Amino acid sequence: MADPLKNSPIKAVQVEALVLLKIIKHSSTTFPTPATGSLVGMDVNGTLEITNTFSFPAIDAPAQDNNNNNNHQDNTSSLAAAAPRAKANVAYQNEMIKFLREVNVDANNVGWYMSTNMGNFINLNTIENQFFYQKEMNERTVALIHDVGRSSQGALSLRAFRLSPAFMAAYKESKFTTENLQKSGFRYQDILVELPLVIHNSHLLTSYLHQLPSSIPKEELDFPPNIAALQVDPNTPHPPLFPNYDSLDLSIDPYLEKTCSLLLESIDNHHTELNNHQYYQRSLAREQAKITAWQQKRKAENAARAASKQTLLPEDEWQRLFKLPQEHSRLEVLLNSRQVEQYARQVDGFTASVSSKMFAVKSNLLPGE
Amino acid sequence: MAEQDSFLHLARPLGPVPVGAQPSTAPLNVAIQPQAIFSILDHSLRRPADQERVIGTLLGTRSEDGTEIEIRNCYAVPHTETAEQVEVDMDYQKQMLALHLRANPREVLVGWYATSSELNTFSALIQNFYGQQGDGTWPHPAVHLTVSTIPGQEIESRTYISAPIGVTAERAADSCLFIPVPHELKYGEAEKSGLEIIASAKDREDRSQPIITDLEALERAIEHVLDMLTRVSNYVNEVLDEEATPSSALGQFLMNALSLAPKVDAADIERDFNNHIQDVLVVSYLANTIRTQIDLSNRLATAALTMGTGDVPAADGLTSGGNNREDGENNNRGGRGGRGGGRGGGRGGGYKGRQQREQEA
Repeated sequence: MADPLKNSPIKAVQVEALVLLKIIKHSSTTFPTPATGSLVGMDVNGTLEITNTFSFPAIDAPAQDNNNNNNHQDNTSSLAAAAPRAKANVAYQNEMIKFLREVNVDANNVGWYMSTNMGNFINLNTIENQFFYQKEMNERTVALIHDVGRSSQGALSLRAFRLSPAFMAAYKESKFTTENLQKSGFRYQDILVELPLVIHNSHLLTSYLHQLPSSIPKEELDFPPNIAALQVDPNTPHPPLFPNYDSLDLSIDPYLEKTCSLLLESIDNHHTELNNHQYYQRSLAREQAKITAWQQKRKAENAARAASKQTLLPEDEWQRLFKLPQEHSRLEVLLNSRQVEQYARQVDGFTASVSSKMFAVKSNLLPGE
Repeated sequence: MAEQDSFLHLARPLGPVPVGAQPSTAPLNVAIQPQAIFSILDHSLRRPADQERVIGTLLGTRSEDGTEIEIRNCYAVPHTETAEQVEVDMDYQKQMLALHLRANPREVLVGWYATSSELNTFSALIQNFYGQQGDGTWPHPAVHLTVSTIPGQEIESRTYISAPIGVTAERAADSCLFIPVPHELKYGEAEKSGLEIIASAKDREDRSQPIITDLEALERAIEHVLDMLTRVSNYVNEVLDEEATPSSALGQFLMNALSLAPKVDAADIERDFNNHIQDVLVVSYLANTIRTQIDLSNRLATAALTMGTGDVPAADGLTSGGNNREDGENNNRGGRGGRGGGRGGGRGGGYKGRQQREQEA
């Protein structure tokens, strides 16, 4: 897998500004429940152009009562995360696309989007949704993941993912036993393929953006008489949209802390899965020991029978007598590993930016050192 | 943006007015979220070639007294317009509204938009349709947003509400008084990062921008800040050299800004800095250790078994298979032990780091 993009029908993803804003709006209103929606657009020479989007209906969660226990919240969020493949939403999506076609919007479904917090998105729900899209609708679909937590920390985090063909094939047969994994040499790094993503503006939008911060007055301005006047002066420039000065913020601890606790959660999951696996290994070994003992007994018996010229007993009866335990699917472990990798890279990213900022601040406060 | 316009505020029909009460003259404010404008521009680009303007429905929220309206969303409605008549697909409008309300139950119908600044008889007709009783916005007035999209001219947006005017009964349906109301573009904190990247693409030839990483964003922001600092210090130097006119207000402002710099002891800074950077680096180091351990554990879980001969018939190779499995298990155990150590360390580090941070705070 030198180049995972080589065999993919889509090489890049181009997202319209409109789509980006709609996703952000939807994600931030439903936060922390994940928001999901459908993407429409078309595929032009291997570049998937996503030109519009609409959100899926809100889940009819039971009225939010005051004792918002964890269980209840988990329930809602897992329901919300499963929305893209719910039957009602498929009907909703088809109907919406039918209507959008009437107003000349590109009426092809090209995937779905989901919002997440601090990269916490690699789980069975995501995989199943994308599998559902990639399998049934058409092959050229992507999942856009918008990270609300990271975007609020500075630069926007929007990523496009597809399932790798190897994973699609394996998931179709749902064979994630150790034996199969060895044969196929499938690794957790190969589950998802990330596609390069660009944001694209229309001509009309470009011209709109150019006039957005109202143009600077041409004539020389008078000096304000005092500070109060300076602050209310309409000519005082507002901070520009770009670059975003939020990225100069030094406080990173909440984000690091959140990532750390998510990371610990993943490790606990990993530990549970490993324990399960260990249990399986032990019971397997036990069963096998029993079978071997049985076989040896049968062999001795047969030897005795052969000596006394009696008919031999069949030697493969053990297959009926003993049942080998079923191996757990290793998919959960794989996803979990991929999730841990994601967190680690995220921490790296945070560290990189915050350490440079800190050195800058230090040398500013302590000049000459 | 038509910001320089002055507005004439008249007593206007603001919802149900109890008989005898004074009609409200409070100004009506319209806030537009960027995605609504973007969506209108997109619709304008996708209009049929023979159509001058296209229309659509605006969705949003209204404050309780009806004086604040926030336009959050919109969708296109097909319509045909000739010199004599206008046809709006009302069925489409109704069904689309129902679909949108299912996804966004908190939004309500607030009005409609058109992609030309022109107000004509048809505008009045459509306005009355949107403001009517039943399916319309009644008892609140419908908001009409026009966004001009004439090539070569500035994109100008205006908002209106309407009042009925006294004409004969047969002309009442296609006449109304459009009253301009002020509006502003409003975006929240969450949209900032999105708008940043959209705005960064505006000066590029291909009008597209790949996602920027945190470090790139930081670099650009720092460059910008340095640029501004140079400008300010140039100005201050010129004032000192008596080349530029001084301003006491600006001077005061700069003094205020400078006094924000904290006065901290150098040793304190040094200590806090070292503590913090160590925390951050430890977290990063441990995260990467965990990643390696997980990778290792995965590899061991699958690699151990390949030492076996592979496809041995089950019945014959059972004993040898059993041995192999045991080997694998041993190896697994080794992996687990190592990982467990990493985990304990990670935990300790994480908690320690947090405690330290709390101490700082």
